[in-house]
Amino acid sequence: MRGRAGLILGLILAGAVVLSLVLGDSNLGASQLLQALLGRGDELNRTILWDLRLPRTLVGVAVGAGLAASGVTMQAFFRNPLASPGLLGVSAGGALGAVAVLAAAGLMTGGLALGGTAGFLAVPLAAIAGAFLATGAVMALARRGAGPEHLLLSGVALNAFFGAGTSFLLALSAGKFEVSGQILFWLMGGIENRTWEHVAIGLPGILVGCVLLLPLGRPMNLLSLGEPAAQSLGVDVKRLRWQLIALSTVLTALATAVGGVVGFVGLLVPHLLRLAFGPDHRRLLPLSMVGGAALVLLCDLPTRFVPGGLRLGVVTALIGGPFLLWMLRRNPC
Amino acid sequence: MVSQTVGTDELLAALAEPGQIAALSHLSRDPGFTPDVKALAKYPCLRTGTAEDILRFRPDLVLAAAYTAPETLTLLRRAKVTLVVLDRFETLADLYDSARRIGAALGRPERAEELIRQWQGRVAALDQKLRGLKPVRVLAVGLYPFTAGAGTTFQDLCDHAGALNVASEQGIRGHQPTPNEKVLNWKVDMLVTDQGEGMRDKLKAMPPYKFMEALRKGRLVEIPGPLMSATGQARLDAFECLARALHPEAFR
Amino acid sequence: MLTRPAQAGSVLSASGLTLGSRLRDLSVRLEGGCTVAVVGPNGAGKSTLLQVLAGLLQARGAISWNGRDLARIPFLERGRELTWLGQESHAEFAFPVRDVVAQGRHAWGDDGVGVEAAMATLDLVHLSARPITELSGGERRRVFLARALATGAPLQLWDEPTASLDVRHGLEVLKLAKDLAAAGSTLMVSLHDLRTAFRFDQVMVLDQGRLVGFGPPGAILTPELIEAVFRVKVSPEPGLALELP
Repeated sequence: MRGRAGLILGLILAGAVVLSLVLGDSNLGASQLLQALLGRGDELNRTILWDLRLPRTLVGVAVGAGLAASGVTMQAFFRNPLASPGLLGVSAGGALGAVAVLAAAGLMTGGLALGGTAGFLAVPLAAIAGAFLATGAVMALARRGAGPEHLLLSGVALNAFFGAGTSFLLALSAGKFEVSGQILFWLMGGIENRTWEHVAIGLPGILVGCVLLLPLGRPMNLLSLGEPAAQSLGVDVKRLRWQLIALSTVLTALATAVGGVVGFVGLLVPHLLRLAFGPDHRRLLPLSMVGGAALVLLCDLPTRFVPGGLRLGVVTALIGGPFLLWMLRRNPC
Repeated sequence: MVSQTVGTDELLAALAEPGQIAALSHLSRDPGFTPDVKALAKYPCLRTGTAEDILRFRPDLVLAAAYTAPETLTLLRRAKVTLVVLDRFETLADLYDSARRIGAALGRPERAEELIRQWQGRVAALDQKLRGLKPVRVLAVGLYPFTAGAGTTFQDLCDHAGALNVASEQGIRGHQPTPNEKVLNWKVDMLVTDQGEGMRDKLKAMPPYKFMEALRKGRLVEIPGPLMSATGQARLDAFECLARALHPEAFR
Repeated sequence: MLTRPAQAGSVLSASGLTLGSRLRDLSVRLEGGCTVAVVGPNGAGKSTLLQVLAGLLQARGAISWNGRDLARIPFLERGRELTWLGQESHAEFAFPVRDVVAQGRHAWGDDGVGVEAAMATLDLVHLSARPITELSGGERRRVFLARALATGAPLQLWDEPTASLDVRHGLEVLKLAKDLAAAGSTLMVSLHDLRTAFRFDQVMVLDQGRLVGFGPPGAILTPELIEAVFRVKVSPEPGLALELP
């Protein structure tokens, strides 16, 4: 089973992509999908495929791969299989940025809508700004050689600080239920109504980040069994720490900017794949990227059919939690 | 035509020919928000309000509000759908303006003018009845600790029903949390809330309302929920409903 | 075997090592092909010394490996020249034993030269595919020892390598150290058991961060010194002398 891991996950991802393109408010049949892909057939179907489903699918892939890769990195860095991308406070920073824009827009009459394309881009761009603020703080610490313990504590502080800001803005907007609704929806994560602009913001950066992470798999193996020993075996630990932190925070920032706060993917996917296929990061990294992308797409499917309440972050948690518990019961290791 | 928000449902239903309506918002079947659910139930309704959900009806025109998700609006524009975005709902003048814009977009401007004339007539008749009467001092209350100040539909309601909105007199704009202690000093004759089972008792148990003189004396007016929050033409029914409750002697 | 022949001259030397109160103006000079035991009471600075010499802790003073200033040696090359083995044998992730031992080849960029031999030396072949998290403390220790061995570095610094090992495996590690030294490596091993120190070529005695004795154990570990440093009395006693068959 181990040898075929890549193949199995690749097939699952391919299936998820197809389902993501086909299912939705108007289901596209196989022939309709094909026609639309080739630029022929019903104009509405083509619009649905090219302007709605494709960007949504691509954003889903980017968010899933980015969060899973970031999760693997965090777990190696902290030498703890329970670490997740949100630990350092980056996603909280992103949340604050987005919520600030949503709240401010709600206060103006007309809000974001009248700004057209620029209007809605304000949210992911503000999320990136907020996330990079947090990233900057974390990287400054890492550059000075701060190790896992220090960064964990700074993460606690940043999470608390940004979380307080977000709650404050949410309370301020509580009177206007449409605004607070939008904020809550964003905080629960989601990839509906994604456009090609979102793809442009999220996909290239996440792709580059993932590619840069892959060759670090081997030193990550050494790092995960102890830093002094890894250094003695030839790893430049300080430099590796800095690289891992930089890549992980950027991946988390971009994923949060285009997908909102999607929890659990960064924790669950690496953990599950490690239990199934072993902890070798040279394999775990690419497998997690594929697995994360598939998971996000599959969790997005139910949200298309249940109006209102079911958000992506809710689905990932609802599925992820019990599944992880079940796997741990079978294999407590 | 598709109406994406509850505020435009009723206007669309009134202005358009039935054949022009492709779908109404997902709240059009919710009696908590829509005054005349039976009338609107015969039209299909949206499920999630996303761009994809709207597009499956293949509309030529979509009515949306300024607080609709901006990505949705952008995606609709890219799908080459005409969009009418309404951004003001608070006052009667906004209603007339929205009606005119929707009427023009539908190609039925004369129907819009006809409706506006009817509405103006009703408002004028109501004004006549209320002429010379002293406005009743009111405050909007409810199970959530918020009140409505100036610049809200409640303010508009007060303006046309012979009431004075104490909250806006005190400088509150928009929907704000009710100031817990100050409110006890305000001179309020009547509390206005939306209808609900056991509303009176529930409010009597909630601070700060339970300490308010008006509530202790039982001076509470209940308005049906969808009318309280009406942004469409149902607000005229709300005017009349509140006016009757506050000035019963004018309607004998 | 797994090591390279030693070079003439000092293979590991340091002077004026100072780190707060943990090391005070310590100087050392080691030749190739010998085993050195580092002893001292708790807190004397044994672990600190090993870490500083391995370049894992920053201290004042000069360190050179094979005549080269440590600070100038790139990280990857350091992996080929010197290997440090810590006191802890903790493992958080379930790597199979063979993978862990193969990590020792990181500095060489290959994945397997000498890995099988290292595992055989530490009696690990039957555990080759087992996840390291399923092993006992002593077995994990041997895995990390095998990893240190697999690097093929001629300088080996081991911090209490025989802790948690059973009698037989402990003796085998000591024999291993001797064999490596005979082939030209230099081993510096910190120990708690003074009696074991007598099996080494040289002994280094530390007390409160200072070097109080360096030389052959017979000469250095006199009853007077032991009493002064360890504050225990020495008296001859009939006991068990354990050897490999």
